[in-house]
Amino acid sequence: MKTDRATAARRRRLIMRAVESAILLLVLFLILFPILWMALTSFKRPVDLFDLTLVFTPTLDNFRTIFAAPWNIGQTLLNSTIVAGLTVAISIPFSTLAAYAFSRFEMRFKHALFFTILATQFIPAVVVVLPFYLLFRDLGLLDTHFALVIVNLAIVTPFAVWMLKGFLDAVPTESEEAALVDGATRLRVILDIVVPMVWPGVLVTAVFCFILTWNEFLFALILTRDDAVTLPVGITRFRTERGDLWELIAAAGILISIPMFLLASVIQRHFVRGMTGGAVK
Amino acid sequence: MADVALRRVSKNWGSFVAVRDQSLEIRDGEFMVLLGPSGCGKTTTMRMIAGLEEPSSGDILIGGQRVNDLPPRDRDIAMVFQSYGLYPHMTVAENIGYPLKLRGIKGAERDARVRAAAAKVELEPLLARRPKELSGGQRQRVALARAIIRRPTVFLMDEPLSNLDAKLRVSTRAEIKHLQHELGVTTVYVTHDQIEAMTLAHRVAVMNHGEIRQLATPEVIYDRPADLFVAGFIGSPPMNLVAGTHEEGVFTAPGGLRAVTRVARHAGRAVLGIRPEDVTVAPAGAGDVDAAIYAVELTGDAVLVTVRIGEARLIAKADRTWRAEPGSAVALRFDATRLHLFDADTTKRLNPE
Amino acid sequence: MQDRRLKYLLILPAALIVLGTTIWPLAISFVTSFRDWRLTRSLTPGPFIGAEHYVTALTDDPDFANALRVTALFVVIDVTITVVSALGLAVLLRRAGVLHSMVRAVLILPFAVSPALVGISFRFMFNAEMGVFTWLAGAIVPPLQGFVWLAEPSTALLVLVFSDAWRWVPYMALVVLGGMAALPREPEEAARIDGASEWQVFRDVTLPALLPVLAIVAILKTVFALKMFDQVVTLTGGGPGQSTVTLAYLVYSIAFRWYDMGYASAVAWILTAMLMLLAVWYTRLVLRKAGA
Repeated sequence: MKTDRATAARRRRLIMRAVESAILLLVLFLILFPILWMALTSFKRPVDLFDLTLVFTPTLDNFRTIFAAPWNIGQTLLNSTIVAGLTVAISIPFSTLAAYAFSRFEMRFKHALFFTILATQFIPAVVVVLPFYLLFRDLGLLDTHFALVIVNLAIVTPFAVWMLKGFLDAVPTESEEAALVDGATRLRVILDIVVPMVWPGVLVTAVFCFILTWNEFLFALILTRDDAVTLPVGITRFRTERGDLWELIAAAGILISIPMFLLASVIQRHFVRGMTGGAVK
Repeated sequence: MADVALRRVSKNWGSFVAVRDQSLEIRDGEFMVLLGPSGCGKTTTMRMIAGLEEPSSGDILIGGQRVNDLPPRDRDIAMVFQSYGLYPHMTVAENIGYPLKLRGIKGAERDARVRAAAAKVELEPLLARRPKELSGGQRQRVALARAIIRRPTVFLMDEPLSNLDAKLRVSTRAEIKHLQHELGVTTVYVTHDQIEAMTLAHRVAVMNHGEIRQLATPEVIYDRPADLFVAGFIGSPPMNLVAGTHEEGVFTAPGGLRAVTRVARHAGRAVLGIRPEDVTVAPAGAGDVDAAIYAVELTGDAVLVTVRIGEARLIAKADRTWRAEPGSAVALRFDATRLHLFDADTTKRLNPE
Repeated sequence: MQDRRLKYLLILPAALIVLGTTIWPLAISFVTSFRDWRLTRSLTPGPFIGAEHYVTALTDDPDFANALRVTALFVVIDVTITVVSALGLAVLLRRAGVLHSMVRAVLILPFAVSPALVGISFRFMFNAEMGVFTWLAGAIVPPLQGFVWLAEPSTALLVLVFSDAWRWVPYMALVVLGGMAALPREPEEAARIDGASEWQVFRDVTLPALLPVLAIVAILKTVFALKMFDQVVTLTGGGPGQSTVTLAYLVYSIAFRWYDMGYASAVAWILTAMLMLLAVWYTRLVLRKAGA
């Protein structure tokens, strides 16, 4: 009968919804748990670690310890901030100009140039790290902020050009042409008209690049020793002959991650468009 | 105020030819309309005059001076874009005043001129608003005000009415015509709407596939279209075009259509053209040719009667009270002085001697 | 017009940066791959030996063969799991709901965590004595109690895959969601009216339309899987033994443990060549989609 079919359908739908909710809860758990567990661990005393308890007396000792000698995470934090900040500050203005040129002008080798920029994203860091190591070693620039900024510029600039071009392509050109007719030079157009219209995109790109540099590991591992160590490498150093000092690692881990979570949530909506460069909307 | 000339101008992108070796002289103070369907090259032509595109070959002259190498800002032109091209982060007043700001005109003088331009388009109460707070018609007026504030040599307008709704289009059209007449500035206006062309232009350049098919006043374009394309493009409802053969001054088409033309020379395939308003409907047997009614449409001010003659369909314009049933038989009477004949192979107009 | 000169000036700084920081070292590394150069023996580059390194790697080096095997295994498992999971997650998240919004809100978090930290974090969670996942697994499946995940070659690789999937599935789900949002609704609604079940609608209408997006996702994920380095260092260190040594890690260990710069460059370039093929494929896909 009709009503039987309706009830059966409804029951099926309810079961589906239940299963769906269960899966989503599982996903939520899987995504959040490692982060929360690390946060939890950072407040534990070493003795609590083996108990795997959720209930314990929290302590801020770990955070105090990592800032003190011999770990000096404060210096590492400063290094990360300087390197990431400088990289972004240098890369973004130049990348914006280049992205504007790619977006608005016809050029003889445009496709070739653009493909080259795209292709650099596919290059594994390991193939480039050796020459840099040798170069900086010869120049005595190992373990400096300068070296890290240079290599991070390599990582970040093509990406920024790509992302910014995507944002600029979405800005209609009519206002710029109107300004040209009204009497502006091209540079004036960029300053007066384009920048005010595209600055959210620039901000998103800048944040994205900051995160990339902040989390960068391989180059920092190879090119630094003591002075210019950044956070991801610093975190691997929390060990003694006895083994890893997990509680300290966790505390440092929180230190690395919280700023990035904040930045990421700011630009959440634009994360996707960035990485796929407009290929997927 | 100056004249504008294009001398053998071409534009191509790769193998695609957008504008093919065209020449055009626009007189000082003239309202020239470039009319044609999408892709005909009209916008490209205008953008070359503006300096936003570079011609592949040929010369562009403004006021007798060759401007090919001048950037837009040195050509003393103003332009109204299809989507207005307003500056979204500036107020209406700042938008209108931007051309003056770029020229270093500041303070009280700039404010006064902004106010004057705004007054001309009735925008004064909106000077402090931003573009996103304005309606389409208001944004369009901001674009107009920004264009007139400088008293440039040439106005360029790229389909400025196409984003407005029908009613607003009619009133703004009149405003543009009035403004151009008052200011007397040479104007180049691009549109695909033939009504805009007819109502606004001193002369119309009808374009298709990168070429100007006919350059003439609206009346000439309407009454003596130079080829099949122009004939079919101008006029609403469009001109009836019937394919058939022509010999010794007589045109015949399958279905019994027969018309006497005053063209002597042409013998062979031809196309007869007659506008719906030049065709009258009469009772069967009492006209030039018999036909069966295909459809009857009331437009309010008239009745459009579509009939079938053989394989062809013709539209006649009848009095607003005229009625009949589809399928019934009628006759058509043609105004013999308003017949057009075209060579079917060259598509060109054949004129009587 | 002045634009003509300006546009090249505008690109110049960024182009110089890319040239100097990417193209140049690539070239150096390429040249080095044809030389015999061990840093332990000399500080200057050694003599040219032609393609000897490449031949050795491809025919005579068990470590390379192992790394190739590990990499291939890792990439296949990782990409398959990631793409399928991302697709499934995106399908689930398409609808609105409280749980849905919560999950959607946290999707970018894993991506914001440093991959090195992810490796360390997972090493901690799978630790034999105090790893929470070790404990959980043992609690759910009793025979697994006390199982040392990172000591077995196969499970160590799986943990590596798990850590990488944790990083990427949420992000890829966002990408697929974006792709789905761009699809027109009508074909799906028409299918429903025609009588198709939800699964049939998905299989016959949605999935075919999503294939371009999924292809892009799969290629990108393959590229990132091939490039992956940080987690190998911090999670497994290549171990147990050599069972999680990927090609990228092999380059690192040849260059900075054995200091054989020439050979390391060659292996690095073999990896790069694979990635360049993917780059070409990707570009063609993207261009086709943009033109479509």
